[in-house]
Amino acid sequence: MRRILSIWLASSALATGQWVSYPTAGIPHSRDGKPDMAAAAPKTSAGKPDLSGIWEAEDQTYFRDLADGLKPEDVVLTPWAQAIQKQREERDHVDDPLGQCLPHGVPRVNTNGLFPFKIIQTPTLIVILYEQLGLFRQIFMDGRKLGNDPNPSWLGYSTGKWDGDILVVDSSGFNDKTWLDTFKGRPASEELHVQERFRRTSFGNMEVRATIDDPKAFTKPWTTTAQKMHLLLDTEILEFTCNENEKDIQHRVVR
Amino acid sequence: MKRTFGLAFLFAVAAHAQWIAYPTPDLPRTADGKPNLSAPTPKTADGKPDLSGVWVTRGGYTVNIAKDLKPGELVFQPWAETLYKHRLDNEGKEDPQAYCVLSGVPREDVVPYPFKILNSKGEIIILYEALHSYRQIFMDGRALPKDPNPQWMGYSIGHWEGDTLVVQSAGFVDNNWLDNSGHMGTESLRLTEKFHRTDYGHIDLQVTIDDPKAYKKPWTVNLQLLASDTELIEYVCDENEKDLKHLVGK
Repeated sequence: MRRILSIWLASSALATGQWVSYPTAGIPHSRDGKPDMAAAAPKTSAGKPDLSGIWEAEDQTYFRDLADGLKPEDVVLTPWAQAIQKQREERDHVDDPLGQCLPHGVPRVNTNGLFPFKIIQTPTLIVILYEQLGLFRQIFMDGRKLGNDPNPSWLGYSTGKWDGDILVVDSSGFNDKTWLDTFKGRPASEELHVQERFRRTSFGNMEVRATIDDPKAFTKPWTTTAQKMHLLLDTEILEFTCNENEKDIQHRVVR
Repeated sequence: MKRTFGLAFLFAVAAHAQWIAYPTPDLPRTADGKPNLSAPTPKTADGKPDLSGVWVTRGGYTVNIAKDLKPGELVFQPWAETLYKHRLDNEGKEDPQAYCVLSGVPREDVVPYPFKILNSKGEIIILYEALHSYRQIFMDGRALPKDPNPQWMGYSIGHWEGDTLVVQSAGFVDNNWLDNSGHMGTESLRLTEKFHRTDYGHIDLQVTIDDPKAYKKPWTVNLQLLASDTELIEYVCDENEKDLKHLVGK
C-alpha cells in the first residue's frame, strides 16, 4: 500500500508548485477580521444555494475507501465484482487507471483530498473543473433526462436538480473500467447509476453523499457517509498535465 | 506533413463516436425550421454579447496556423527558424499533443474539435473537447501576473472593447506548439485573442502572437468560429493509445 501512497504524494508535489494568489471575492468576515467559514451558505439571485468556489475533500478517506464508516453488510459485492476486486488486489493495484493518466470516474473524482476542484454555477449548467488530470464534468440543470444509451465514458453523463438546499446530481452512461476507490479497488459496471447529493452547510463547508446503484456489481444500492469538503480561499486550481515528464508507470510492477 | 495531418484525423475518428443529441436551447430558426445562423447576436443580462455555446473552428489552420500570412509577416528569430525546420523535417515526432500533453493555447483555437464557452461570475470558462481540458479567462479586472507558473494554457484575463471580447494571455511554457507543423510559442509569448460574435452563428477570432524570443515582430491571423448544435464528448487521449510507435520521424 505504501507504493500507492507514494505515487499520489509525488504527483501532489508536482502539481502544487507556485501559483498566483489572488484574493477571493465576497468573503464574509468575523469580528476579528478573519474569514468566517461558519457564515451562512450564499444564495444565487434565484434563491438557490450557490456552490461556486474552490473546494477540496477534507482528506483521502473516501478516495481510499468509498465505504468508510459503513458496515460490511451495507456494501455487498456480487461474485462478478468480487472476482475483479480480487484480481486488482493480487496485481498490487498496478492496473489502477489513475496511475495511467486515465480519469477517476464518479464519485471518486471528488474524493482525493490532495487536489482541489472548482464549481462553476450557472442557472442551466453547473461545471466542475478538477485540478487532478485537468478533468471537467458538465451537470445539466435544464431539466433534460439522462440518456437511455449514451456513449460509455469515464465521467458519465450528469443531470442535476435542487431538492431544497441540496444539489442532487444523477449520473449514468459510465464505462465498466472504473475503480470506485483506491485501496479497495471496488469495480463498477455499465449499469452504474450514481446519485451525488451536494449540500453547502456553511460558507466554508460542504457535505457530499453518494449513492452507488449498480446491480451488476453490488447486491443492493448503498450510500456513503457524509464526505466533508472545505472551501479554499485566495487560491486557484493549477494546470495538471499527467503525461508530461511521466516517470512512474515503469515502476508499477506486480510484486 | 501528410503524416501529421493523418494523425489528427485518426484522433478525430476516435473521438466522434455517438453522443446524446439534445437540441440547443433558444436556437433561432428560419421559417423552414433550419437553424438561423444569421440571427442577431444574443446578449447577456448586462448587455454584452453572449459568447456562450459550442463552437468549432472553421477548418484549414490545424496544420499551419500562419497559412494565410504573406512573406515577411512572420519572421523567425534564427534559432526558431532552425527549430521549425527541424520539426518539419522530423515530421512532428516531438509534438506534445501526440504524447497526450495539452494542446495549449492558441492551438486550441485551430484544432478540429469543438469547445464550449460559458459565462460565470467574474470569468469566462472555455471547455475544450480536445484532450479534455479547460481554460479560465478572468474578467474581474485583475492584471496579468508578473511571474506565474508556466502553463500550456497560460494565464488569461479578458475585457470588453465595444462588442469585442479581448483576451490577453501570458505565463506559457517554453516549448508550446501553435499548430501541427510546429510554429512555436515560448515563455515570452504574449497572446491577444479578440472574439467578435458577428451574428448568432459566427465569431470572428483574431489571434495576435507577440513572442519576441521566437519571432522578430508580432503577427496576426484571422480565424472564424461556427456555432455548433451538439455537445462535447469525453476525449481520453491515453486510452488504448496505438499511435506513438508509428511516429518515427527521421
